[in-house]
Amino acid sequence: MELDFTPVLESWRYLLGGLGLTLLLSAVAALCSLAAGLLVGLGRTYGPAWLRVPLTFYIDSMRAIPVLVVLVWVYFAVPLLTGASFSPFWAALAALTVHLAAYVAEVVRAGLGSVRAGQVRAGLALGMSRAQVVRVVVLPQAVVRMLPAFGSVLSVTIKDTAIAAVIAVPELMRRSETVAGQSYHPIEVFTTAMAAYFLILFPTTRLVDALYGRVAHLGRS
Amino acid sequence: MTLDWSIVWDSRWALLDGAALTVLLTVLTMLVALPGGLALALMRLSRFRILAVASACFVELFRNLPLILVVYWAFYVLPVLTGLELPAFATGLAALCLNVSAYNSETLRAGINSIRRGQMEAGMALGMSRGQALREIVLPQAGRRVLPVLASTWVSLFKDTSLVSVIAVGELAHTALQIRSQSFRVLEMLTALAAIYWLMGYPQAKLVDWIDRRFVVTE
Repeated sequence: MELDFTPVLESWRYLLGGLGLTLLLSAVAALCSLAAGLLVGLGRTYGPAWLRVPLTFYIDSMRAIPVLVVLVWVYFAVPLLTGASFSPFWAALAALTVHLAAYVAEVVRAGLGSVRAGQVRAGLALGMSRAQVVRVVVLPQAVVRMLPAFGSVLSVTIKDTAIAAVIAVPELMRRSETVAGQSYHPIEVFTTAMAAYFLILFPTTRLVDALYGRVAHLGRS
Repeated sequence: MTLDWSIVWDSRWALLDGAALTVLLTVLTMLVALPGGLALALMRLSRFRILAVASACFVELFRNLPLILVVYWAFYVLPVLTGLELPAFATGLAALCLNVSAYNSETLRAGINSIRRGQMEAGMALGMSRGQALREIVLPQAGRRVLPVLASTWVSLFKDTSLVSVIAVGELAHTALQIRSQSFRVLEMLTALAAIYWLMGYPQAKLVDWIDRRFVVTE
């Protein structure tokens, strides 16, 4: 088998631009789903029943529907329903956020649940309000315990942005397809893309583990 | 906007075929990836460094790649590597197996490591061989402990089978997207697609929660 990497080298700027968009989309989607997921998780754990029931339904639905389906639905069906049209980038951001926020919410719920109930009772006995107990006692410990799971949500986010290629977001995956199709050297192009994704994802997971190792003692109780 | 939902009913058999193929892909992948993951986990824990390193490389590689890229890669590279003209279904299955084996390996390794060393040593002190102690003492307990994680991997896999649609495997997502582009009933078909996945996936997600509660181990 003869490998010829010249098509990759010739379009390195184009591919690098795709990589930049992958990183941008990952960062923004991770931040948005973190914020949204935190709210949903808090609402599901401490909210009144009329809020808990629909939030649980939303979370479980997102666990059942593939992200690919959410992506094509947001990109193709939402404009038909609302009349507003989005660029692929914004559609991908919205779809990824809707999908990943449900996972973040599950992480948040598990983290909040991991703080022993006695601590909440102790806080209430000291005369703190429920909101104070959550803010001052539960959240600081729970957030540290959630960190490893947030790290894996981050790597899932980066991997899921590749699926945005199906709605033509010009990120690394999409641009690799384009270069592969035009150059007739798919093996070289996709292998390069694999190396690029691996070089981003592997250090990300390692870095998150290392960071957690340094702060894990803060979450002990 | 006028909606015409009859297209969904009219294409019910095609959609049912697609859904059946989705289930088949999920089942076949798990059938390969469970023994595959166990083999990788045992390699990783073995005394032979070369096996451990090979397993670690494989697992880290496929855990750190987007599945959709592995699917494309398998589509172009497997025929060259094997010299065979593989059907799209086999290619998609291979890509899913590589991915899920890597995840299962980490799950099973964590499960095996969670059983205290003393139990293995106790078995060997009773005259069992290493393999016997592993088979009869460690694995049954580890398997029970990792069942919730395997169940949630199952649901992820069920959803991830939609990604092999990009190489034209005729499972549920590909079937529905094809009908959409032929009939131009975009909203109806995409909503039906989401609804069918929901109907199949929602009970599975609930089942995972139940398994989680039933088998949870608190130390």
